[in-house]
This record gives sequence, C-alpha cells and structure tokens, in this order.
Amino acid sequence: MSGSVMVGDSSSWSRALVKISPYTFSAVGIAIAIGVSVLGAAWGIYITGSSLIGAAIKAPRITSKNLISVIFCEAVAIYGVIVAIILQTKLESVPASQIYAPESLRAGYAIFASGIIVGFANLVCGLCVGIIGSSCALSDAQNSSLFVKILVIEIFGSALGLFGVIVGIIMSAQATWPAKTV
Amino acid sequence: MNNDVFFRYGVVCEPRPITLVLLSFYSRGATWKLPFPDHLLTVPYHPKIDGTRLCDKEEGKAWRSLNPRNLPSSKRICDQIPQFLMASGFSGDETAPFFGFLGAAAALVFSCMGAAYGTAKSGVGVASMGVMRPELVMKSIVPVVMAGVLGIYGLIIAVIISTGINPKAKSYYLFDGYAHLSSGLACGLAGLSAGMAIGIVGDAGVRANAQQPKLFVGMILILIFAEALALYGLIVGIILSSRAGQSRAD
Repeated sequence: MSGSVMVGDSSSWSRALVKISPYTFSAVGIAIAIGVSVLGAAWGIYITGSSLIGAAIKAPRITSKNLISVIFCEAVAIYGVIVAIILQTKLESVPASQIYAPESLRAGYAIFASGIIVGFANLVCGLCVGIIGSSCALSDAQNSSLFVKILVIEIFGSALGLFGVIVGIIMSAQATWPAKTV
Repeated sequence: MNNDVFFRYGVVCEPRPITLVLLSFYSRGATWKLPFPDHLLTVPYHPKIDGTRLCDKEEGKAWRSLNPRNLPSSKRICDQIPQFLMASGFSGDETAPFFGFLGAAAALVFSCMGAAYGTAKSGVGVASMGVMRPELVMKSIVPVVMAGVLGIYGLIIAVIISTGINPKAKSYYLFDGYAHLSSGLACGLAGLSAGMAIGIVGDAGVRANAQQPKLFVGMILILIFAEALALYGLIVGIILSSRAGQSRAD
C-alpha cells in the first residue's frame, strides 16, 4: 500500500452520503410525502375558504357551489396520503450486514426522492388551486355565469398534483431492497 | 491475527494528550480490527505509552513526531483511507442513484412550481376581468394552458430519468448520477422561471385584453417567448440525460 497516494477517487459527497442509513432517507421521504402535501392542502383551503366566506356575505347563494374548490384542495392531501401509504409498504427491514449494500442505498434514495416529489408537487398544487378557488368565489359572487369558466382553470391547476403522484409512484417501483436470505 | 492492532496505535492522527488519556482506557487489552496493514501504523515514539519520562524538550519532540503533518504521506492514515476504502470496493458509485433520483425530483418539483405560479397568477387575472367581460373568459384561458404545459415538460424529464436508473440492467456510475441531476435541474429551474414569466404576462395581458381587444395577439406573442424558455430547458435536459448512458468508455 505504499507508493503514490490518491486522495480519494470517489467524490466527497459520496463518502458523506454512504454513512447515512437508507432508513433515514426512507423515513424522511415518507414524512415529507404526507406532511408537505397536507401543508399544501391546508394552505389552499384557508385561502379559498376565507375568500368564499367573505364573498358570501352579500351573495349567500355561492356557498354550496364553491365548496368544490375546497374539495379540490382536499384531494391534494388525499394524494399525499395514498403515496405515503404506498411508500411505507415499500419499506422493508434488511439484515444488518446488508444495510449499506448498493441495493439498499438505492432503495432508500428512491423512497426519499419519491416523497420529495409528491410532497412538493402537492404543496404547489394546493397553493395554486387555493388561489384560483378564491378568485372563483369572488367572481361568482358578482356574476354567476363565471363559476364554470373559472373552474376550468382550477382543473388545470389540480393536474399538477397528479403529475407528482404519477412520477412518485413510478419512482417507488425502484425501491427494491436486497433479498432477506443472502 | 495479523491485522489485530491495539487501538492506541491507531491514534496517529490524534496526538492531543487529553484524547490519549481518554482512549487509554480502551487500550487495556482491546483490539481494533482495521482494514489496513500494520506497517503504516509504526509510531516512532509514544511518550505516554512507553512509560519513560524524558526532559521536556525531548518529550515535546516525541509528541511532535506523532503529528501527521510531520509524517511522510505514505505513512499518514488520513491520506491512505481513500485507498483502503477503494481496496474494500467503495468507489462512490453506490451513492450515484441519490443524485439521479434527486434530478428527477428537481425536474418535476420546480416545473410544477412554475406551472402553479403561472396558473394561479393568470387565473386571478381572468377571474377579475371576467366580472366585467364574461364573454372573453374562454379566450383568456390561453395563459393557463401554457402554464400547464410546463408541468408536462417536468413530467417528461422526470420519467426519462427515473426509468434510466436501473443498476440491475446497466451499471450506474457517478457520472450517470450527476448527468441526471444536471438534466433535472436544468429542466426544472427553466420551467420555474418560465412559469413566473407566463403568470405575470398572462395576468397583465388578460386584464388589458378586456379593455383593448387588439392586444390579444400581442399577449399571445409574449407568452410564446416565455414558453420558449421552458422549451430550452427541456432540450438541454434531454441532451444531458442522454449523456447518462455514456460513462466509463473503458
């Protein structure tokens, strides 16, 4: 082992990352999937809800129709719940000798990335749907023919959460842990 | 065993007396298996362990001889550790999927942020102007559709990347991981910026179109320029992710 010294062929990021257990990455990914999705849904609901209630003072007829905007925001939270449950079924316990095997590391990273994707895509989707829903309520209060037209815009917004769920589920299929029997 | 090394001799890189005092508790009969050969751990003189006390100057020299800065590089453990890690098979490629997956995440998340901003900002404009001119609302949904396309660009790159990470079928090196990371970041951040542009232009455009119908074509032209930014990001992202299969030409 004497002779020329190579100060690391591998990158220092890799040497730092390989010390972190894949269980850490998986757990944080699953938590972000549900936590940040629910944050987006809640944010959208309070933006829509507060505008809806304020606009309904002078136009109480809009209340029941515009609850659909609140339901669109809630759907974002449901996406987060679905993906978090799917991801936690992908979480397996591997023998201690294999916890840092390449396949385990990859599974941990896949669950983490899937959780980030779903969480943050649902966060922005919830925000978007909330803002549009608030405008929808305000304009519906003034002119009832506008409700359906602005709802079309809201549907475009809610497609973003679906993109996140699609990619998250595709990526979670990569989360295969090493087999239990070596 | 040839590789059994007493822990106290492993402290070549830590000559501080207090640490050695604390670690001397471990030296009583404890063995520490290290994955490197013994000849690198030859310590010239160890004042604490050898037990004899010299005059202060000699003792200082003995302590200084333990400082890794004074050792030749072939005897410094801190310089040898990367080789030992590689000798045991660690080349960093095990962590390459982290960067690949993070690239897919960046592609989708940032594009969705841009799409959401564009949709929300122009949607508020449409709703505001629709109160006065309801017949123009369906025409004014164009900025919203263009913002939605940004999310699709992000989805494309995210799916390309995540199906390209398959270490069982094809080896996945750090080169591939970083290529995918840059591809995802390129597409995602470009989509974020384009979404912001589309949102603000769409909001101003639909409100102005309600007051002056001749402005519709101008609004569409500006929106097309803004959408082209996201397209540049998609093109660069696709080019970069196609590089990911080209590592290790040996």
